Amino acid sequence: MYPSMTPNFTDRPVSGFWLRLTRLSQNAIVLLLLLAITLLIIIPFIWMVIMSFRTTGEILSNPYGLPTSLNFDNYAELLFSPRIAFYRYFYNSVVVTVGSLFLTLAVSTLAGYAFGRSRYRFRFRTAVFSSLLLAMMLPPQIQYLPQFQMMTEYGLLNTHLSLILLYTASALPVSTYLMATFFAELPDELEDAAYIDGCGDLKTFYRVMLPLARPAVSTVLLVNFLNFWNELLLAVTMITRPEMRTLPAAMMLFVGENSSDYAMASASLVVAMLPVLIIYLALSDRFIEGLTAGALKG
Amino acid sequence: MSTNQASAVRPLARASASRIGTRRQRTPWGAIALFLIPLLFFYVLFVVYPLIATIWNSFHTISYNMGQQVTTFVGLDNYAALFTDRIFHTSMINTIIWGVVGPIIEVVFATSLALLVYFKVPFYRFFRTAWFTPMLVSGVIVGLVFRWIFNNEWGLVNTALRGIGLDALAVNWLGRRDTPLWVVIFVHFWATFGFSFVLILAGLSSISNDLIEAARVDGAKLRQIITSIILPLLSPTLITVTILSFTGKMKAFNVVWVLTEGGPLHASETVATYVQKRAFAWRTLDLGYPSAIAVFWFGVVLVGVILLRYFLNRGSYQREGGA
Repeated sequence: MYPSMTPNFTDRPVSGFWLRLTRLSQNAIVLLLLLAITLLIIIPFIWMVIMSFRTTGEILSNPYGLPTSLNFDNYAELLFSPRIAFYRYFYNSVVVTVGSLFLTLAVSTLAGYAFGRSRYRFRFRTAVFSSLLLAMMLPPQIQYLPQFQMMTEYGLLNTHLSLILLYTASALPVSTYLMATFFAELPDELEDAAYIDGCGDLKTFYRVMLPLARPAVSTVLLVNFLNFWNELLLAVTMITRPEMRTLPAAMMLFVGENSSDYAMASASLVVAMLPVLIIYLALSDRFIEGLTAGALKG
Repeated sequence: MSTNQASAVRPLARASASRIGTRRQRTPWGAIALFLIPLLFFYVLFVVYPLIATIWNSFHTISYNMGQQVTTFVGLDNYAALFTDRIFHTSMINTIIWGVVGPIIEVVFATSLALLVYFKVPFYRFFRTAWFTPMLVSGVIVGLVFRWIFNNEWGLVNTALRGIGLDALAVNWLGRRDTPLWVVIFVHFWATFGFSFVLILAGLSSISNDLIEAARVDGAKLRQIITSIILPLLSPTLITVTILSFTGKMKAFNVVWVLTEGGPLHASETVATYVQKRAFAWRTLDLGYPSAIAVFWFGVVLVGVILLRYFLNRGSYQREGGA
């Protein structure tokens, strides 16, 4: 059902020769090396979590101590203090991310359907599609200055809408590509049956074909969720009013302004990271497949 | 690029071909318009127009007079100014160093580790999941945490170095002129290596087991199998990963911006941070000059990608021919 954009990892060799190779590399040194690398990758996160449960005083007297007690004061202050107004930034990030995801999904499923199904082929369709793929190569630096001018002109600076529109635009090429390749592989019979039953184009799309495309939809959602939630360049460019900032922009400034309040800063990083990490732990394979599928198109 | 696009378009072409002859109907333009207009709206307004506008801006100086935007045509002056802008030269050299060193260490590390992990049955999914984690974390978080890790007085790196008696190496990593760029390279490597690793692992698992079995029957050693069979077959994946890594470094912004903001004294300035500074942080309000930087640099990166693809492809064919 799911098109194999990434090879499956389960069919790995287990023949006698492979077992010998396996034995060769299975020795303790290799395993220790791999575990050491894992530790290097994980340590910053662990350190961050530990610091977030301590007080800044404790951190300054001994940066590497363990928390004396399970202390949620930092989190309580972070989440509820009106001085920090963390909930405001979290809310901004949620609005921008959800809005962009919704818009990206609406536009990319429609377009992917038209690009993927043979019923809708027209002259130059492949050319239009390829030019869309080319847009994936463009770095943000070549577009964002005029985007800033446009937003200024239309009075959209410092609005959620400016980020929603720009994030959607940046996500559409990859998302449309993923949807189109998926729709192209669905069988014609269901589509034909829907037409015979009297469904129009739009009804066939959302009643019959879209529900079948659920795996591609979830890939598009995962990949873009991550990008939207973490985006910084546009977020600091289009938003200058403090109360409209999204989490990445707000954190950068928060830590800059309270550069000595390490405990609070770590807590804010942990909270900002948490939504992504929770989804990742639940759906790690889906995440990895989605991100690699989105990237491999080149 | 061309090969990838061809393969991207293929499923569509195949789908259309299967329909030819079975039924010939009029093109449903109404439905096509309905499905494609939202996309074209976004594409034209927020991708095509800004691209053209950046090129247009790069030939102009934009200034403000009594709140009114004044745009003056200056021809190639902005581009000429690039040649005398020393900060731009620094940022360009830094970005090029990154673009050369970054992909090399990333591909070498990711390939070696993928080979190790692939041939090693236990915990394979664990490593894949764990090493991929930094990819998910915002560059802001990565940058801030590593600002602490490389902190001069109490950072993890310097504490560890002092702990094992290497006090001389415990320098002010982010405060000197010679180390910040390497810290940036390292941190970005830390954050993105898991991605290359997963791509290479995927490439490895698609290599047919029969080939390796056949080589073994012919008496090939493990080293020969890796260098003569696995690496040549893996080369398309390695090329893709190298180019993705290269373009990723060329446009990276978050990690550098948060870690050093290009400082101190432009020691870790990259083209991306310099464009941002010239456009906004320095409050010059002139979007013409940074546009020229962006256009020029985009041209350089494009040429770089084309050359990289050309030489890597040639190299991989030769290796296959020789094997």
